[in-house]
Amino acid sequence: MKMSSTITYVRNYLARFLLIVGLLAALASWYFVSPQVDAVANTMNLWNMNIYNFTLFVGLITIVIRYSDGIRKRVKNWPYMAYGLVLIVGWIIMGEYLGLYSDFYQSAYLSTKITLHIAILGQLVFFLVSASYRVVRIRTLRTAVFGLSMMAMVVLNAPWLLGVFPAADKISYWLLNNPSMAGGRALLLTGGIGGVILGIRLLLGLERGALKSTER
Amino acid sequence: MISTDPFIWISAFFTICSFTLLYGDNPLFRIGEYTFAGTVVAHGFVTGIQTLYGNYIPLFQGQDPMAAISLILAVMSLFIVWKKYAWIASFPIAVMIGVGTGVSVRALVSTDIIGNITATISEAGLILVGNPADGLGYAVRVIFTIVCTSYLLFTVLHRGPGSRTMSYLRTIGKYFFLVYLGLSVGNGVMQLSGLATSAINRLLVSWLGLG
Amino acid sequence: MRIPELKRQYIWGIVLIVYLTAVLVPIGAPFPMSDITVEIYNVIGSLKPGQIVVVGGAWDFAFDLESSAAMIPALRQLADRHARIVFAPFAVESVQYQKYVMQASGIAEEQGGTYKYGVDWVQFGYIPGLPAAMVGFLNDVHSAVPADVYGTPDDKIPLMNDFHSWKDIALWICPHWSFDVVVRYATAEHGIPAIYFAQAAAYSGYSPFMMAYPDKVWMTNGFLGGAQYEQLMNTTGLGHAAINAYYILSAVLVVIVILGNVDMISKREKKEEKK
Repeated sequence: MKMSSTITYVRNYLARFLLIVGLLAALASWYFVSPQVDAVANTMNLWNMNIYNFTLFVGLITIVIRYSDGIRKRVKNWPYMAYGLVLIVGWIIMGEYLGLYSDFYQSAYLSTKITLHIAILGQLVFFLVSASYRVVRIRTLRTAVFGLSMMAMVVLNAPWLLGVFPAADKISYWLLNNPSMAGGRALLLTGGIGGVILGIRLLLGLERGALKSTER
Repeated sequence: MISTDPFIWISAFFTICSFTLLYGDNPLFRIGEYTFAGTVVAHGFVTGIQTLYGNYIPLFQGQDPMAAISLILAVMSLFIVWKKYAWIASFPIAVMIGVGTGVSVRALVSTDIIGNITATISEAGLILVGNPADGLGYAVRVIFTIVCTSYLLFTVLHRGPGSRTMSYLRTIGKYFFLVYLGLSVGNGVMQLSGLATSAINRLLVSWLGLG
Repeated sequence: MRIPELKRQYIWGIVLIVYLTAVLVPIGAPFPMSDITVEIYNVIGSLKPGQIVVVGGAWDFAFDLESSAAMIPALRQLADRHARIVFAPFAVESVQYQKYVMQASGIAEEQGGTYKYGVDWVQFGYIPGLPAAMVGFLNDVHSAVPADVYGTPDDKIPLMNDFHSWKDIALWICPHWSFDVVVRYATAEHGIPAIYFAQAAAYSGYSPFMMAYPDKVWMTNGFLGGAQYEQLMNTTGLGHAAINAYYILSAVLVVIVILGNVDMISKREKKEEKK
């Protein structure tokens, strides 16, 4: 049954109203002293925290739907999807029965997901070294500037240089705290300006982004 | 001596699964990949349930009946996965975007924008004060900040009065930014190296008892 | 002279040999002590007994592992100072990470230490909704987090009788990637001093905060900072192991890059000869 245009209009603007109230309450509670505004801001903050918590369940629902479809249609890698589903169910039962903070759960999590994540990130050093062979080459001024800065930092952090050249430590911190810091500062400044502009656009209803994906 | 702890054996197995990617796509890597995905969502679910108990204690004890509104809004957010009724999730998403943006904007203004501008101005005043190495450092900070900010703000070529100056500033800013990126990447090598050490340590020392 | 091009598999083999050597033959690579690490050590050393220190933030365990090199000895130092510790995880994996560092430090009664749960330290469960959650936490801890990770209500936890809001926090230590949130809300808005055991890749992005709040924000640099903190606390751990491996890897990386440039030059010469 298609929703009437009045109801569609009301729900679209109700969502925008909630957005504006949340935004203004968070801002006003900081810039003005008002117990009423603080009460509204605290309430919306608590709602925000509880809604965020439920987004954890969205991931599970999405993966279960995707894997179930994949198994049903016998797509490529469907046996692994079946394994994934069995693992998910078993893991949830284990977690609920033993508790999130139990030693057994902690050991299980460290030996599976954390181990995999650390190994995947650690593998990057292999790719970084092989990529450096091809990429860190002084072809143009740009590649020279990037390559020399990168290698300067790698060498200045190296313990073997410090025995020969003890001032290397001071130089590396000088480079990190001056030119490198300034680049980071420029990013924070411009990112901050962009964030404020995005907030103003949201307030004025010019930015429909995430809400648009749920409108029909 | 080889470890007898089953968790160490599981950990070693998955470390090997991950490193087999260097050889190419293979069943062991796929097992690791789907284990990763499965444990992430399952852990998220377990955490969510546990947090639910903790956060709604006042509601369950009857101390804060208004918390029921947040529970209803939170349940509405689950409808995002159902295409036909995804519009129901727009209300909790609106709360998340509104509160998150409001809280972020006030911090961005005071810390990221005003805080950094204040720091840059105070450093400019210290260039000729104190020892030359510090003064050079402050000068580098101020010049790099101004030039890099110009590069980021005026990414699109400016036409009209001052366009020549702006284009020089942008070019210099581009190279200063490359210096920043090179230094960051060079410093980051230490992080990846340490994580690889941790992974291989787990195999050789914890599992096989070598070293 | 033409040097044959190195295939990536050969390079990976060389890197693997580097790590096997570093792990099996601990070199004991020396490294200098940085002023900032000593300053952080002194800041924690100046804490008075009973002061509340929050260890909190958000990110993935694997990225935060680098911070654990400094966090574990820092926890032991906090125990030496008899500071009370509150663990505040703002990400799903932060709970597991904070449990890991607490167990590794050995200061809790369960690990043979002296720190009693509920009196000397508390672990909260996941606090969802960063950055708004941080604001709520700082304004009213009991409303934002009504219970600990075990589900025990705050009013039944002795430590929580003295911890209600940002006014009760003496120091914030962040061993997670989300240090910007801590600086923006805890330090900038409420003046709470903050220490960050920075990941090396995050140092450049967050060092501006150290310059903007010079007397309130301090950061170590990656595994090097971790190794330095381990040395200050007369212990060894992941920091020292990482520096040992980096000792060899950095030299190999320089050689590989030089070989890459030589390869490029020799190919260019060959092209010009053909012309």
